[in-house]
Amino acid sequence: MIALRDLEFRYEQSSFALQLPQMQLESKEHVALIGPSGCGKTTLLNLLAGILLPHAGSVEVAGESVAALSDSQRRDFRIRKLGLVFQNFELLDYLSVRDNILLPLRIGSGLSVSPALQQRTEELAQRLGIADKLDRHPAQLSQGERQRVAVSRALLLQPTVILADEPTGNLDPANKFVVLDLLLDYAREEGATLLTVTHDHDLLDRFDRVLEFNALNAWSPG
Amino acid sequence: MSGVFYLAWQYLRWHRWKASILVAAVTLVLYLPLGLQLVVEQTARDMNARADATPLLLGGRGSPLELVLNALYFSDQQPPVFDYGVVDELRNSALVDPIPLYSRYHSQQIPIVGTTLDYFAFRNLQIAQGRQLAMLGEAVLGISAAQSLGVGVGDYVVSSPESVFDIAGVYPLRMPVVGVLAASYSPDDGAIFVDLKTAWIIEGIGHGHQELTSPAAAGAVLKSEGDRIVANASLVQYNEITADNIDSFHFHGKNADLPLTAILPVPRSDKARVLIQGRYQAHDSLQLLQPRAVIKQLLDTVFAVQRYVLVAMGLVAVATTAVVLLVFLLSWRARRPEQDTLHRLGGSKAAILSLMLAEVVMVLATAAVLAALLVALTELFGGPLLKAVLL
Repeated sequence: MIALRDLEFRYEQSSFALQLPQMQLESKEHVALIGPSGCGKTTLLNLLAGILLPHAGSVEVAGESVAALSDSQRRDFRIRKLGLVFQNFELLDYLSVRDNILLPLRIGSGLSVSPALQQRTEELAQRLGIADKLDRHPAQLSQGERQRVAVSRALLLQPTVILADEPTGNLDPANKFVVLDLLLDYAREEGATLLTVTHDHDLLDRFDRVLEFNALNAWSPG
Repeated sequence: MSGVFYLAWQYLRWHRWKASILVAAVTLVLYLPLGLQLVVEQTARDMNARADATPLLLGGRGSPLELVLNALYFSDQQPPVFDYGVVDELRNSALVDPIPLYSRYHSQQIPIVGTTLDYFAFRNLQIAQGRQLAMLGEAVLGISAAQSLGVGVGDYVVSSPESVFDIAGVYPLRMPVVGVLAASYSPDDGAIFVDLKTAWIIEGIGHGHQELTSPAAAGAVLKSEGDRIVANASLVQYNEITADNIDSFHFHGKNADLPLTAILPVPRSDKARVLIQGRYQAHDSLQLLQPRAVIKQLLDTVFAVQRYVLVAMGLVAVATTAVVLLVFLLSWRARRPEQDTLHRLGGSKAAILSLMLAEVVMVLATAAVLAALLVALTELFGGPLLKAVLL
């Protein structure tokens, strides 16, 4: 479940300001967020993930009041409860596919790469069709394969909420449906909430609901 | 923390050329001053030890350094020669026990030192294999010389002609190796020792040939006037001294006129040392030296040069450190997006900083280990390097 109320945020050295009176996503809901470039969609995802903190208002994600958490609690919350997918994949070129998937465990404190998680990495890779690429590096993969690696990384710790920022923005038509279906399939099977920022109107009918960012008006697809 | 080191290792592995260059630069900065210091200290220690073990040295007047380097370290320097008669003169003084040296020739770059058995006793050189010199034309080798030539007791060494253009000069002499010395960790390990007379035969002052009155040599005789027989070049000259031909070897001229390159006068007492020094202080053609003083002069020069080199290295080290720091700082700046990704995925600022620092630590640690390894190698093998330059 995701809930925002009376949210206010502005960047220090910019005139940009975000004001959202209310937004709510039910548990297990799959929602697309659309809106023009620069309207604050990515900022909103960062606020939900606790990467940015609001100046006013409340942000509740997966039962946690994000703004009330300490810095380390927010990081732990991001690692354990959220799955983040980015438009530019954000893979580290010097790590193998396997290590990129396991990256949150290596950089997060108090976490370790257990045999069970190694096993889950293999299973995810198998499911996402990159099992034979685990020992390669991102530079040796196609765009579609890279985004599958990023999706695997997001799903590794079985998140209850997935926040995807234009996950298909850099993909060809064939791959964009594949990647989105992977996310939707996972969310359905695991009962996760999925919020996806997208510009691609071809994809909207796959979601339960679409939010237009300017007014946060919800309407039913198609 | 292990995760951070794992990531840092993966980063350095992926950027292996950049990492290797950084490691090499830091290794050199750490190693060069230490290595230089070690080499100089080791060389000074070895050279001083040799000089300390040689209280006095007598030779022809000329460069004291050339004389010391030739007589103590068997270097290629050619000090002026003087007559063997000086040995008798010193012996008759009853102040010193003279040990003559004639060190001019080589066998494949290995110095051949003509001396007497007293030299071995003076330097405390022990035979490890075979026996001591007993007959004209035999050779005893230092352990390094034997290893470098790949010969042992029962094999032969051949003196090298000094100049291929001098066809009437030094005649290659084939000498049986009768003994190999135990290691003494001194220049003696790298020398071939022969009897003084054998060294003169190598020079061509003494020689052996067919008996001129034998029927086999008849064709070589040009004219015969009483005791004087003149022969042509077809007369067979011996290039090896054997039991069969040893009697034919002879020297023309007086023994006292034969050449030496140096004498080690071993004083019988402190008083004798002072007296003998006074006696040769103002000699026209000879000089009597205290090798320690000459080596000290040489080493003072080396230490002075070393100080300048260390200052230069210090400046290079500062510049290199600045460049290495710059590389890391620029690299961190260029990797800002990566740091943002790590932060978004749950990495703390401390963890991200640790990752960057772990890379620096790994580069520095690898460089320190390599530098330590090089220092250890220098400790083992560095000494001969500077000696090779100096000698």
